[in-house]
Amino acid sequence: MIRLLEISNQALFWYYLATNLAYLAMLIIALKTSARHHRRLESHRLSWFKDTPMTPPITIITPAHNEEASIRVAIRNLLELDYPQLEIIVVNDGSLDRTLEELRDEFRLRVVRAVYIAEVKSAPVRGLYRSDVDSRLLVVDKEASGSKADAVNAGLNAATSPYVCIVDSDSVLERDALLRIMVPILEDPKRVVAVGGIIRVLNGSEIKNGQLRRVRLPRKSIEAIQVIEYLRAFLIGREAWAQGNMLTIISGAFGLFRTDLVRAVGGYRARSIGEDMDVVARMHRHLREKKADYEIRFVPDPMCWTEVPSDLRSLARQRARWQKGLLGVLWPNRDMLFRPRYGRIGCFALPYLWLFELFAPIMEVVGIATIIVAASLGALSREFFLQFMIFGYAFATVISIGSVLQEEVTYKRYNDWKDVVRLVSYCFFEHFPYRQLHMIWRLQGLWQYLRGDHEWGQLKRKGLVSAQ
Amino acid sequence: MGSVFEKLWRLGPAVFVFKAIIAAIVADGLLLAFIFIRRAYRKRFFAKRDKHVFELRQQWDALISGRLSYDRWREKAFDRRIVEAMALDAFEAAGPAESARLLKFMRASGLIEKRIFEAQRLTGWRRMRALVALGRTRAPEGVPALAEALRDRHVEIRLAALRGLGRTACPQAAEEILAWVGESGLTVPALPLQSALIQCCAERPQLLLPFVKQAEGPLREIMGRVLGEVATPALGMELLQFVGDEREELRAAAARAMSHLDTAMAFDALSELAEDRTWFVRLRAIIGIGNLVDPRAIPTLLKGLSDSNRLVRLRAAEALVHFRAVMVPVFQQVIELRDRYGLHAYLTAIENAGLRERLESQMQSSQIDAEEMRRLQSVLQTGSLPPEEPELAETAANQRESGP
Repeated sequence: MIRLLEISNQALFWYYLATNLAYLAMLIIALKTSARHHRRLESHRLSWFKDTPMTPPITIITPAHNEEASIRVAIRNLLELDYPQLEIIVVNDGSLDRTLEELRDEFRLRVVRAVYIAEVKSAPVRGLYRSDVDSRLLVVDKEASGSKADAVNAGLNAATSPYVCIVDSDSVLERDALLRIMVPILEDPKRVVAVGGIIRVLNGSEIKNGQLRRVRLPRKSIEAIQVIEYLRAFLIGREAWAQGNMLTIISGAFGLFRTDLVRAVGGYRARSIGEDMDVVARMHRHLREKKADYEIRFVPDPMCWTEVPSDLRSLARQRARWQKGLLGVLWPNRDMLFRPRYGRIGCFALPYLWLFELFAPIMEVVGIATIIVAASLGALSREFFLQFMIFGYAFATVISIGSVLQEEVTYKRYNDWKDVVRLVSYCFFEHFPYRQLHMIWRLQGLWQYLRGDHEWGQLKRKGLVSAQ
Repeated sequence: MGSVFEKLWRLGPAVFVFKAIIAAIVADGLLLAFIFIRRAYRKRFFAKRDKHVFELRQQWDALISGRLSYDRWREKAFDRRIVEAMALDAFEAAGPAESARLLKFMRASGLIEKRIFEAQRLTGWRRMRALVALGRTRAPEGVPALAEALRDRHVEIRLAALRGLGRTACPQAAEEILAWVGESGLTVPALPLQSALIQCCAERPQLLLPFVKQAEGPLREIMGRVLGEVATPALGMELLQFVGDEREELRAAAARAMSHLDTAMAFDALSELAEDRTWFVRLRAIIGIGNLVDPRAIPTLLKGLSDSNRLVRLRAAEALVHFRAVMVPVFQQVIELRDRYGLHAYLTAIENAGLRERLESQMQSSQIDAEEMRRLQSVLQTGSLPPEEPELAETAANQRESGP
């Protein structure tokens, strides 16, 4: 028994150290990469991209399900984006509320027979509408399918541009976000097949007429802690992974893809819970199998602001769903693991996700349990245990503060001193009890998936209107 | 029995853990200090900058005309950077007269010389910044320094030089870029090169012709694309030679360029390219032939309407909609195609252009019989093809069988 506890404690120690070292390495890579990115941006201007005839058209696809509260604001925001050739497709995914009526009233929709060719699977379409106010806006009204992926597929079938940008209807894009996300594609259109943008927390900020007016840190601590999580995930994690062309996820709230490629992989998988990660994984598989020379990039400055859960229950559901989604992607793609054919994706990125993302809650729970047992059996040096905890805490805080630093030296959206002080203070407080709760939610997600519960579930949102 | 941590302790890691704790706490402290000190510094910096910008803006005319002595701001790096940034921003929106005034000021104040020096002597991102700033001045004397940087071993420097040359938008810059790609081939991503060439060759597109003929591989494609963008009617005969080029990119560029030419010269070539084996060549040709708005193009556009490629169909439909005087016959011919996708594309284009009512009124005023009218209206209402008449169906089937 003691021997077993020893092995468990040892494993936990090395596991924890490895996780933090991996993140530290990512932090260093990310700081270096974003500094380089900023210096590169200094040598050209976005307006030049806007003026060149080479800038390709983009279709924005926005799925909307029961979004009556925010749909007007959201679409107005999209129509005001700064981009030369734009088409906006709103997919009304069988909304039971007045989403379609709101769109009809605001944008004077009329029925059209636009080209809709079902190249990728989606639920039947009831009608297509074009706006008389702005002809760039097309609304696809389809039967409910219960998944965002299905709605995106309907949008893909109606899209006419070589690139599609998937944007959540409850998100707000900064005015130049499309120009910024197109930078890697404009630089290397043959190799770059998809680009992810950064998602930031909208809660607490001020919006007027669909535009973000003032960025503020949310007041509720549960929301503010998520700000740190998002900074860590995007400014450190994705930045670093993308540097090695190993990005395995492009957020469903804001991502740009080559249309033909998304169609070639069959569009989004309607039954997938983590549909955003799933489509990227299938793109990697498809391109690796074809031995294509490609890149999936991340750009840290085109910003998409989105609402995050503001109560524990919604947050718990969201995190459980993310964990389900992760398992739902990793398990079907397990054949890619350690296969040279899939290159660094199979040999590094996917094993990392299995070990440090999927198994993390299991490892932590088992680890904590064995530590408690070991302590109660006297097989644990309290002094050393305490030191180990202090070290773990201080190390993890370095990573969190590092993500705040990254935000400070690069994008600096929180201009108020008080916001920064609060943000930094949450870096110290997020480790208890938020971290433990998070672990439990993720375990719940795994358990739900294994039990066969593959539903998306409902999230409680306030809507963009509340932020105005 | 000792715990695992005691064992680790005996092995030495205890010292490591202790050091690690200290290091982590120090790192936390340093990061925090850096964040807050940087914030305080930036706050002061921006306040000072704002104050200086305001002061200099008040004296802008005197500053530009030289009435305000250059020495008053040139010696201070802080002020010099502000003045340069303001002048370069002013260039972006300036007309010819104002540009000339700004250029004169930048020459007289020595800012251009300074940038040329920096573009030649500095390294890393400072050099990149100098190169782009030099290009933004649009000063011809900056071109040699920019051209020199094109031969740098670092791709980022080459890209910055290319951007700078692009901003000058002058034929001398185009000559330098073309000479460089002739020497070293394609050593930068295609798009920055294309953009720079488009900007620099707009004035004299004929500069490109010898290079397009000589270039090989991907470089030839890039040149072709640039030519497609900047071509003018004066290049007419020269462009015809690319219609039969083996490279599809070049044929597409020729198709794109043809749309700038007069109808008499472009029509036959575009009709030929509209039947090309490569979809994007057909796409370019269909767009080009649509721009001509020549009724002779209708059969080609109808063929494009039943193309295997979706984008070609959409563009053909958009082009067909431009024939507003003959909407009814075109609509009838679209139906005769018996292509569901083609019909959808055409109806979409009609709807998008807001011409549905016009089509209906033309149908009412045309000389077609009642049965035909019903048939057309039914297609317009339902968006579906009418049932095929047996004789027609048989003929169509025979035609399909005898086809290639």
